[in-house]
Amino acid sequence: MVLEGTWASLFTWVFCTLIPCSLTDPGAVVPAPQNLSVHSANMKHLLVWSPVILPGETVHYWVEYQGEYESLYMSHMWIPSSWCSPTPGPECDVTDDITATVPYRLRVRATSGPRASAWSALKPPFNRNSTLLLPPRMAVRKDGSHLVIELEDLGPQFEFFVTFWRKAPGAKEHAKVVSSVGFPVYLGAMEPGAVYCVKARALVRAIARRSAFSQAQCVEVQGEALPLGLALFAFVAFMLFLVALPVSIWKAGQLLRYSCCPMAILPDTLKITNPSQKPAPCRGEEKVDVCVMTDRDAPRRGLRHAELADLGEGP
Amino acid sequence: MKVQSAFLWILGTLLILSLGQSLGLRRCLISVDMRHLERSFQEIKRTLQNKDVFQNVTILSTLQSLQGIKPIDVCCVTRNLLAFYMDKVFKDHQEPNPQIRRQISSIANSFLHMQKTLQQCEQRWCHCSQEATNATSIIQDNYDQLEVRAAAIKSLGELDIFLAWINKNHQETSHALHQVPV
Repeated sequence: MVLEGTWASLFTWVFCTLIPCSLTDPGAVVPAPQNLSVHSANMKHLLVWSPVILPGETVHYWVEYQGEYESLYMSHMWIPSSWCSPTPGPECDVTDDITATVPYRLRVRATSGPRASAWSALKPPFNRNSTLLLPPRMAVRKDGSHLVIELEDLGPQFEFFVTFWRKAPGAKEHAKVVSSVGFPVYLGAMEPGAVYCVKARALVRAIARRSAFSQAQCVEVQGEALPLGLALFAFVAFMLFLVALPVSIWKAGQLLRYSCCPMAILPDTLKITNPSQKPAPCRGEEKVDVCVMTDRDAPRRGLRHAELADLGEGP
Repeated sequence: MKVQSAFLWILGTLLILSLGQSLGLRRCLISVDMRHLERSFQEIKRTLQNKDVFQNVTILSTLQSLQGIKPIDVCCVTRNLLAFYMDKVFKDHQEPNPQIRRQISSIANSFLHMQKTLQQCEQRWCHCSQEATNATSIIQDNYDQLEVRAAAIKSLGELDIFLAWINKNHQETSHALHQVPV
């Protein structure tokens, strides 16, 4: 009897020890997330951690934060993250939570159904003034004779310090602070035939830091050859116009005269073939000095008065 | 001749001291993104002011009336009011709404950053005159006359007065970040 009791106890001990208790105990603990870290660049902060794997179960994560003010004055208060209460993946964008330049404590826990893990805290606390500021991306171009720059939009906390210069020995560097992005910024007028270069760096007043300068980008402005050629062409065309205009007017006048008032063909009887032949004097009224041919006797249309007078002359 | 030299020496010393004082004041100016602070407050302003049951009294009224506050007193008044909000107002207010709590936390932590900046100023450049001390004492007295929860709500609702005052008195005249060697 005693031996049987001993064997039963031994069996129970082996059963409860070797077989995982999670198979039998519904209140088993979920493992806490590990390896918490923050990846931060250009004032965007991403909290990441190693995923918790529970076969056959869906795991969610809850993120909470505590600023230095809460740590000092109300250490019991933790605030749920804006976007990660809960979140399915092993990462959380905490940019909207880290809003002051003080150390922030961050913690994460995993849940599966009603079960929750312990909190895992980020060590050390994260301060946004440690963010990596990268040289800004920019596009430089020319608009006519103006130098234009377009900068990437990094958010309202960013300003850009832009410098530009003419690529020539001893040229002076000009600077401009650009606050608003999203549309082209005119830097200044360029001289024809010159090369201009631009570089920029990002400024963040909230953390009193600035990035390194971007690589300089240069643009070349076309020289005066083209405008001079155009001016020469315009001059020649103008001169040709000045010559062609009076000729055209004269020709048009000719065309109008002959099309509207054509010359009449003189009949053979009126033509003077013998230059010595003179027209016969008129008979009739002697008081008439000039013999004028009437419409009845001669084609009047087209005959000029000089011709009519010639015909009337005679002894 | 000796009298003239002494006079010039004293005048030069006074000029140097006054220049140093004006430069020192700039070191006591805080550089904070006020737009973010004002935006955070605007999101919760209506809710907070609707909870204010004593509409006819103000706590920060002296700030509005102190238009002639001297530049030399700005540091002291700012430091005292930041401490007032952090030591009393934010602690006394128990906010159940997580959205509002989030905005108050943002403002409180920004105030903490401002206070750290002012603490870096040398004490002699942040000296408290009697006028500055009186101004902040009036505000403290106004707060203590009300029930603590009502006083905290009212002070939170008047944050726009304090933020506007900071914006006006702490505008930087030089941009040190932009002075980059060519």
